[in-house]
Parts: sequence; structure tokens; C-alpha cells
Amino acid sequence: MALLTLSRSSVGLPGRNLLLTLPALLLVVFFFLLPVAILLSRSVTEPTLGLHNYVELLGSPTYLKIFYNTFLVSSLVTIISLLIGFPVAWALAIMPRGLSSVVFAILLLSMWTNLLARTYAWMVLLQRTGVINKTLMGLGIIDQPLQLVNNLVGVTIGMTYIMVPFIVIPLHGVIRKIDPAILQAAALCGASRWQALRMVLIPLARPGIFSGALMVFVMSLGYFVTPALLGGTANMMLAELIAQFVQSLLNWGMGGAAALVLLSVTMALYILQVRLFGAKG
Amino acid sequence: MERRSFLKLGGSLLATTALSPVAALAAGESLTFVAWGGTTQEAQYAAWAVPLTEATGITVVNDGPTDYGKLRAMVESGNVTWDVVDVEANFAFRLAKEGLLEPIDFTVVNKEGLDERLTFDYGVGSFMSSFIMAWNRDFLAGEPKTWVDLFDTATYPGKRAFYKWACFGALEIALLADGVAPDALYPLDLDRAFAKLDTIKSDIIWWDTGAQSQQLLASGEAPIGMFWNGRIYSMIKDGMESLAISWEQHVPGPDMLVIPKGAPNKEAAMKFLAIATSPEGQANFSNASAFAPINSKANALIDPAMQPYMPFAHPEQEVPLDIQYWAENIDEIGKRWYAWQAG
Repeated sequence: MALLTLSRSSVGLPGRNLLLTLPALLLVVFFFLLPVAILLSRSVTEPTLGLHNYVELLGSPTYLKIFYNTFLVSSLVTIISLLIGFPVAWALAIMPRGLSSVVFAILLLSMWTNLLARTYAWMVLLQRTGVINKTLMGLGIIDQPLQLVNNLVGVTIGMTYIMVPFIVIPLHGVIRKIDPAILQAAALCGASRWQALRMVLIPLARPGIFSGALMVFVMSLGYFVTPALLGGTANMMLAELIAQFVQSLLNWGMGGAAALVLLSVTMALYILQVRLFGAKG
Repeated sequence: MERRSFLKLGGSLLATTALSPVAALAAGESLTFVAWGGTTQEAQYAAWAVPLTEATGITVVNDGPTDYGKLRAMVESGNVTWDVVDVEANFAFRLAKEGLLEPIDFTVVNKEGLDERLTFDYGVGSFMSSFIMAWNRDFLAGEPKTWVDLFDTATYPGKRAFYKWACFGALEIALLADGVAPDALYPLDLDRAFAKLDTIKSDIIWWDTGAQSQQLLASGEAPIGMFWNGRIYSMIKDGMESLAISWEQHVPGPDMLVIPKGAPNKEAAMKFLAIATSPEGQANFSNASAFAPINSKANALIDPAMQPYMPFAHPEQEVPLDIQYWAENIDEIGKRWYAWQAG
């Protein structure tokens, strides 16, 4: 990714500016690209030379199901985060400045709180004897506790909560720049509120929507901690599978193969975004 | 022992920073001890590292958590920074087979009294825990007795807590619950074990750390399950009177200590192992953790109040674990285990 960005931004720049990026570039090459390349190369060399790791990975219904789970959860999290994040970003943009900085601070504070602490907090809230189930049962809305954790529901809730700020922040930047007069103009031209949203606001905010959604989707694809703690094994995701191969089974060939598949998908999505919206997204 | 210990990383990092690296440098010789973090590693440090420093001046730096992938990467790259590592027993044999370990110097480490199953050329025992059945009376009516009851969701409704990682324990328990005699377990009939587990698959909640297992049981999220005895003991000690234990057919789950090949402080590491496996070192650790000693001479030194919670107090009920079988078959079982879990 660094290489891609570099080649774009270096267009038209004098060579000495390129030199300034050298330390960062070397750091990335030696401490990131090289080790990754070594691990990935093991996917075609261990235990013997060939593509058998990929055949096993892509030929087994179990592993295919894990790919499916990963895309399902990532898509769900992205869509729900957008549905929650868009109104928040909009509200932030039209709020008085003082209030919006308070709301923003709350959002950032949640991002800065330790991820494990937040995930454990969800576990306590969502479990059978947790606050949510107890309240619902106390109010007589349900008689049996809902199964909210150790399954897809738990992972989706926990990850959505973590991802919402990653939607709000880029989207807020885009929406803030939209001139409110444009919406007034739409209203004057006879657009209903719904039409103004659908035909004016959303198209103008589209770059923010896409870059936020892509970021969330890509982050979700490789997410480990939250699915490991809030999910059950029946909806295991790819990052957990890679951890099992590398740490528990010491099968680095398969681990490398799974990692390369994940990396390829991520890169493909990134390139797609660059093609559609430019490097800035 | 406690897999996925990134959860505990915080604890071990604290322990590491508490130990001034300046002190380690000043004293000259030092070594790095790696285990699973949390209260277990704290107890190991207090029982083994502190006496070593007092006796020899060698300082011990805590690191962790144990990570087999990392250990292998260190040895393969020739850049080893770990000197003594606490590993699950089957991995000790596995790592030795892959040539990743240093041989133990038994002129420094005294073999006498050590559990023979855990003593071999490339490793010694660290401690013994057992998988026992425990339940929370606040959330589970009746008196379950054996593993059969763990699989009886009609009589004892509720979720079941099971250890998540491919490891001895759950498969043995499934076979025992299906009526296999303890001495006829090996080689494991995997088809039969998985078929038995299938009968309660939707009722299983998997725990990957000791802390998580305690949380499941205390909250009633899973009112019954398989647990490490030490973890249940510490909850009872903390006043959870609603917990009950069955020692019937408990499955031992030992940890071992190994020295990675090319460890920078090999000689200091041997001295560490000598103290760690000594009767006093083992007893002090057991008294702090409720995991059992791997040195039979330590048994008498255990706090009498704690004796009933020790696996060695229930020898007749203990299932004869075949560690070698696991070391040889972990690849095949592991793959099948994870595929079954995800399916």
C-alpha cells in the first residue's frame, strides 16, 4: 500500500523529496514486507513445494465456511455501522460547535479505551444473566434469556460498536463541507425531506460513505480479538483460523496460505477504491 | 497452559517492568522465563525465580505469554531471547521432535521424585492441573456425578463450558461419557468421540482462558463444564460457596518446562529448572496456585487445607493420560478438532 501511494504522490515531485521518504520505506520493507514475504512463501514450500496448501484451504467446506463467515460478519458490521454512523455524522455537522465537540470527544474517548476492556464489558452486558437480559425479563418482554453472545449476534454487536467511529470520522469530514444552502435549495425546488436526503445529501457524501465503509470492511476482515471473545466457534473468522494454524498447529504453510488469501482480498478492495475514487478516497 | 494469553499480556508486562532491567545488568547473569502470565506466572516467579536469585545472584526476567509460533521463529532465525519456557506437555514432546529444544542437564536437575511421564531428555514437569467437572448450584439443580451427566442436557439443562483448544481433555471426556473404560481410551476413537460431542454441540460454550472459564461458571452463562481444578479452587477460596466439584475420572493436564535450542543463558536455565522442580519449589508454587506438584516429594509440604483440592488426593479417579499419543497425533487431531468446531 505504501508503494502504491508513493508512486502516485511522487509524480511531478523533485527526486530529493523522494529521498525524505526513504527511512519510512526502509522500515516498511525490512520490518513488514520482508517478514510477510517469508511467511507467505512458506505457503508454497511447506511441507513440500506446491500449491497443496491452497488446494486444501479452498477445497474444504470447513474453510470455505470460515471465508463465508468472515465476509458475512464484515458486511453486516459495515452496513449496520453505516446506518448508525451516517445520522451521527450528519448531526455532528449541523450541531452547534460546542455540543459537537463534546459528542466528538465521547466518540474518541470510546476509541481510546482499551479494546479488551470494551469487549469484556460487552460480554458482561450481553450474557444470559447480563444486564440486558435481566432488564428485558424484568419488564416482562421475554421469559427466556436471549442468546446474545458466543454467536453471530454478539460478534456483530461488539464489532459494530468498535467500528462506528471509523465511519463517523471520515463521513463527518465530508458532510461538514456540504453547503447547507444546497439542501435549502433542494427544499425550495420542491424536494421532500426524503428526496433531499436521497438525491442531494447522500450523493454529495458518497466519497465519505465509501471510504468509511471500505475501511470498516477491510478492518473487519482481519479482526481477531472481538470475534474470539464474543463469537462462538461455529462462526469463526479468518484471523482466528490463521492464529490457530500459526500458534496452535504450527502449520505455517496453511497459515501463510490463509494470510495470503486475506491479503489479496484486502489489496483488491483497496485497488478498487483507488480506481473509483482516487488515492484520497 | 492458558492459551490465547494475550488477555494476560498486561499482567506479565507489569511483572516484567516491575523487575528493573538495570538490576539484572548489574548482577551479571540473568535469564528470561516465559509462561502464560497472570496469577500462575506470578506464583511461579515467587516460588522459583526469587529463591534462584537469592541462592545464585542470577536475576530472572519474566516474559510471555508462551507462544509456540514465536518459539519456533526464534530458534529457526537463530535469535533466541527466551531461556526457560512453560509449555503444554504434548508440545514439549512435539517441539523436541522438531529439534527446537536443548537437552536437559540431569547432573544439575535432580530426577528423584519427578513425575516420570513428564521427565525426558528435553523437558521436565512444571505443574499438574486436572480437568474436573464443576458446576454452580445457583444455576444448576441436582447433583451431577460423572461426565455422563455433563452430556445429559435433559436432566441438567444449561450450557456447557469446554476448553476451546485442541488439547487432551474434551475427547477423553466424551469417550468416558460414552462408556469407554479409562484404561481402554488410547488410541482415541475419534469418530466416536466427535459423535458424542455432536450430541451437545449446540450447548457448548468454549473458553480459551482460565479467567473466561471462571466468568462463565460464576455468571451461570454455563452452569456446568470442564475446568482446571486450580481455577475452581481459587473461586472457592474467594468465597463462591455455590460451586461444587466432581473428581470422578478427572483428566490430568500437565505443563512442562523446556529450554529453546540456542537459549543465551543455558547454564542459568538449568539451575532455574533445578529449583523449579525441587520439592520446596514445587510445594511453594502449589500452595500459591492450587495446581499440583510434579515432584511427589512435594506432596507432604502442601498446606493441609488445600490437600483435598489437589489431583494427587484423588488418584483412583484419575484417568491415565497418554501424553505420547497426543504428541504424535496432535497435527491430525488438531485439524479435525478445529474443523469440527467451525462446522
